[in-house]
Amino acid sequence: MKEFLSFTKKEFRHIFRDRRTILIVLVMPVVQIILFGFAISTEINNVRIDIVGDMTDPTVRKLVQRIDNNGYLEVKGIFTGTDVISERFRRNESDMAVCFEDDFDKKLDKKGSATVKLIGDGSDPNSAQIIANYVTGVISSGTGDGKKETTAGSPLPVKYMYNPSMLSSYNFVPGVMGLILTLICSMMTAISIVKEKEFGTMELLLVSPVKPIWIIISKAVPYFVLSTINLVTILLLSRFVMHVPINGSLLLLSAVSLTFILTSLGIGLLISVISSTQKTALLISGMGLTMPTMIFSGIIFPCESMPEILQWFSDIIPAKWYIIMVKKIMIEGAGFSFMIKEYTILLLMTLLLLGTSIRLFKKRL
Amino acid sequence: MKTGIKTLESVVFLLEKEFKQFFRDPGLPKMVIMFPVLMMLVFPYAVSMDIKNINLAVVDNCRSTESDELVKNCTSSGYFNLVTICDDPSEAMVMMEKNDVDAILTINPDFSRNLVKEGTMSLGININTVNGTKGNIGAGYLNSCMMKFASSSDSASVEPVSGSIVTSTKYYYNPYMDYKVFMVPALIVIAITMITGFFPALNIVSEKERGTIEQINVTPVKKSAFIICKLIPYWLVAFFILTACLLIAKVVFGYRCAGDLSALYLFTTLHIIVTAGLGPLISNYSENAQQSMFITWFFMMIFMLVSGIFTPISSMPAWARAITYFNPMRYYADAMRSVFLKGSTVIDVWYDAAGLAVIGASMLIAAIRGYRKTT
Amino acid sequence: MTGENGNIIEINGLTKRFGSFTAVDNISFHVRKGEIFGFLGANGAGKTTAMKILCGLSLPTSGEGTVNGFSINGEQEQIKRHIGYMSQKFSLYPDLKVWENIRLFGGIYGLGFKELRKKCVSIPESLGMEDYADKSVSSLPLGWKQKLAFSIAMIHNPEIVFLDEPTGGVDPETRRMFWEMICGAAENGTTVFVTTHYMDEAEYCDRVSIMVDGRIADIGSPEELKGRYGEPDMDSVFRKLATKAKRF
Repeated sequence: MKEFLSFTKKEFRHIFRDRRTILIVLVMPVVQIILFGFAISTEINNVRIDIVGDMTDPTVRKLVQRIDNNGYLEVKGIFTGTDVISERFRRNESDMAVCFEDDFDKKLDKKGSATVKLIGDGSDPNSAQIIANYVTGVISSGTGDGKKETTAGSPLPVKYMYNPSMLSSYNFVPGVMGLILTLICSMMTAISIVKEKEFGTMELLLVSPVKPIWIIISKAVPYFVLSTINLVTILLLSRFVMHVPINGSLLLLSAVSLTFILTSLGIGLLISVISSTQKTALLISGMGLTMPTMIFSGIIFPCESMPEILQWFSDIIPAKWYIIMVKKIMIEGAGFSFMIKEYTILLLMTLLLLGTSIRLFKKRL
Repeated sequence: MKTGIKTLESVVFLLEKEFKQFFRDPGLPKMVIMFPVLMMLVFPYAVSMDIKNINLAVVDNCRSTESDELVKNCTSSGYFNLVTICDDPSEAMVMMEKNDVDAILTINPDFSRNLVKEGTMSLGININTVNGTKGNIGAGYLNSCMMKFASSSDSASVEPVSGSIVTSTKYYYNPYMDYKVFMVPALIVIAITMITGFFPALNIVSEKERGTIEQINVTPVKKSAFIICKLIPYWLVAFFILTACLLIAKVVFGYRCAGDLSALYLFTTLHIIVTAGLGPLISNYSENAQQSMFITWFFMMIFMLVSGIFTPISSMPAWARAITYFNPMRYYADAMRSVFLKGSTVIDVWYDAAGLAVIGASMLIAAIRGYRKTT
Repeated sequence: MTGENGNIIEINGLTKRFGSFTAVDNISFHVRKGEIFGFLGANGAGKTTAMKILCGLSLPTSGEGTVNGFSINGEQEQIKRHIGYMSQKFSLYPDLKVWENIRLFGGIYGLGFKELRKKCVSIPESLGMEDYADKSVSSLPLGWKQKLAFSIAMIHNPEIVFLDEPTGGVDPETRRMFWEMICGAAENGTTVFVTTHYMDEAEYCDRVSIMVDGRIADIGSPEELKGRYGEPDMDSVFRKLATKAKRF
């Protein structure tokens, strides 16, 4: 035990002597969570609309006025024919064209209906669809003048649960938390063991009477402390800067997060044990881990819409489970009984990762 | 004049060295091949925003033929996955809390009567919007199902009311709303940026750690020659990745570039000046490999996540949008998408070229200036 | 390019500080053209720091000096054309082959393709490692690496060659051969500036300076120094001077 303590102290001194790295590790998540928390959003905003139609037509003018008055939409240009639209799209000058048919007012009055054609820039299909839905809503939200509304147009009582104002941050902040925590934590730890291997100082540790398991743990402790500091800053920022509520128990959130930090440490240690050089360890943790975590943890792309085989793959990404739990605790305010499955999976992964690292470490001595 | 020739000669030898080292590296060439292949073969399937399989619970308090009809209407749309039909709203709520259900459709007891009498629908929709996009789109789907249902049941009995505006929507470039094709150029952008961002940064730091850079610093070689020779191999690597990815896109997915291929290569060239200039710049200011890795990763994440690749730039708050003007990936991704999907020409997206060129030039100058042969 | 008094290196009041630590403290000396100048001192005495300033790798905090007629304050790149340098830490490219390293550094110094092709054969030959010319440098034993590094430092026939502890960690036989190479270079007119902490090697030098705690404790030919301190060999001279050291 005494040796273990002195080992841990040595690791602490070693890591905290490198002031610049410590600074980088502590400042990075602050900048990233603020930037990503605010910037990553799918709310429709600043949509650039082109109008094609006869502006002398009174109804067209009224509708265009309504589009322009809408806070999210902005009329960029008014044209008489649709032939310019594709050029406008190619130059990225507009997102959607709203085309009114000729004699719009007259047809609406006499025939009882008139056609508006929306032309969207389908190169970004998701935004295009959301914009089209939105613009349709704006145009058909009552034709005004006491004209009777159609039954089909009457709004349905949709209730948005947990996130009534549809804020993207409720979705992305927990995701970004998971992403940043896991990557910084595993990147820090990834070089811990391989560094000693490269410098040849490993032998020194191995001739000491300390058991390998304690060597590994003494290496992990300082990183655990650093990651905990990061966790606290991230939580404070998301609560007070991003205004994401913590509806559930803070204690539960901390417990889940600390478990997740252990999982990430496990990933880092495993990388460190299997790599032969620092460069490999850094590339695996920095490049190899970033993309899968970002894509497969459900932060941006919902795992449910992936092909089944990729859904299985996403199941082995620890961040996915952590993010699900964080959302449940912070936003839905759910208790532990609602996340027994997720927590068990995360815990098993942690044990597996740490166990494998220690086994492999022993084997390579 | 004489020094000019000497510089050119030393460039030849330095380049020769960089290439030999690149191909001799145990992992590098493999990674350059594997990374884009994986990115192109696996990720397009994963990066889908097509929201399908929305888990739906129906609380049917009416239990009439009309309500049955409505539920059938929803499930046959293909977007919904009917989990349960129950009578107890709290049961459905518990399922939502457990994440088993994304949306709850509550059909009120007076549903069928109201529909027949007044043509209105008496129902409620609860949607889990923790995931904003999914909630938004899910609500949209449900809404359109309801409308379809309402209009189909209407048309028989009710005459079209005067003053209705019919909207139809048409999408250019991507009529089938295929999300994969939208992400393919973006994945190419990510693959190229990752490889050409991470490797040069590590390369120079490892020269520092091994001491070989000192042996170079004590020679009369020009700083600019040294940095540019570090950059050129990655330029070719980027061309290789681009070509490989385009081929995979064509062969596996059948996607062709709508615009001029040469425009893609031109923008890639401009982008490489940025990313490969970033590597030396970062390693100038880092003391060891870990630091340079952290800083590179830090910038890569920012480049990627606030570039408009995953979420639209127009959704960002004004200050974040201002930051994106300093993000090279914003320009590169926008250009690659415009050319690949819409067939834009370089002139159409001249601002992307200008943005990349300005950032690239400043990056390169900063890298050469910041590299000190004498400390 | 030497001064009117035949000195190829002239240093006056050279000081280098790192924060509050003064690594090199106001040293002045000169080196004559064509001599072997030994720069002696214990580890951490400031030898390498001073040498890096002379090579143009590092800027002095204060002080002046010229190397081959060029100022150490601002004409570093001109200095670099006329010197060869072999660092304490082996610093050829380990993943390149022997001939590839020769070709690279020869090429950087502007040797021209024809001459390079010749050197790629002649250098391994003269070192007795023809069979290893096509092997990667990392596979060579340390002594061979050092000899190769020296030959590469000499590849462009520099006026001065700076050697930083060239014989650290090699066996006595290789050390002897190494000094033969150094003497050979001096005979061909190259000035040799060499740091070492092996005092027996000091005997091979024309003149030596002994650095203690960043200052030059004494300077002169080995014979002069031995006479001045009344000691039979350089080792005893050094020990007498170094006992005053406060660092380490």
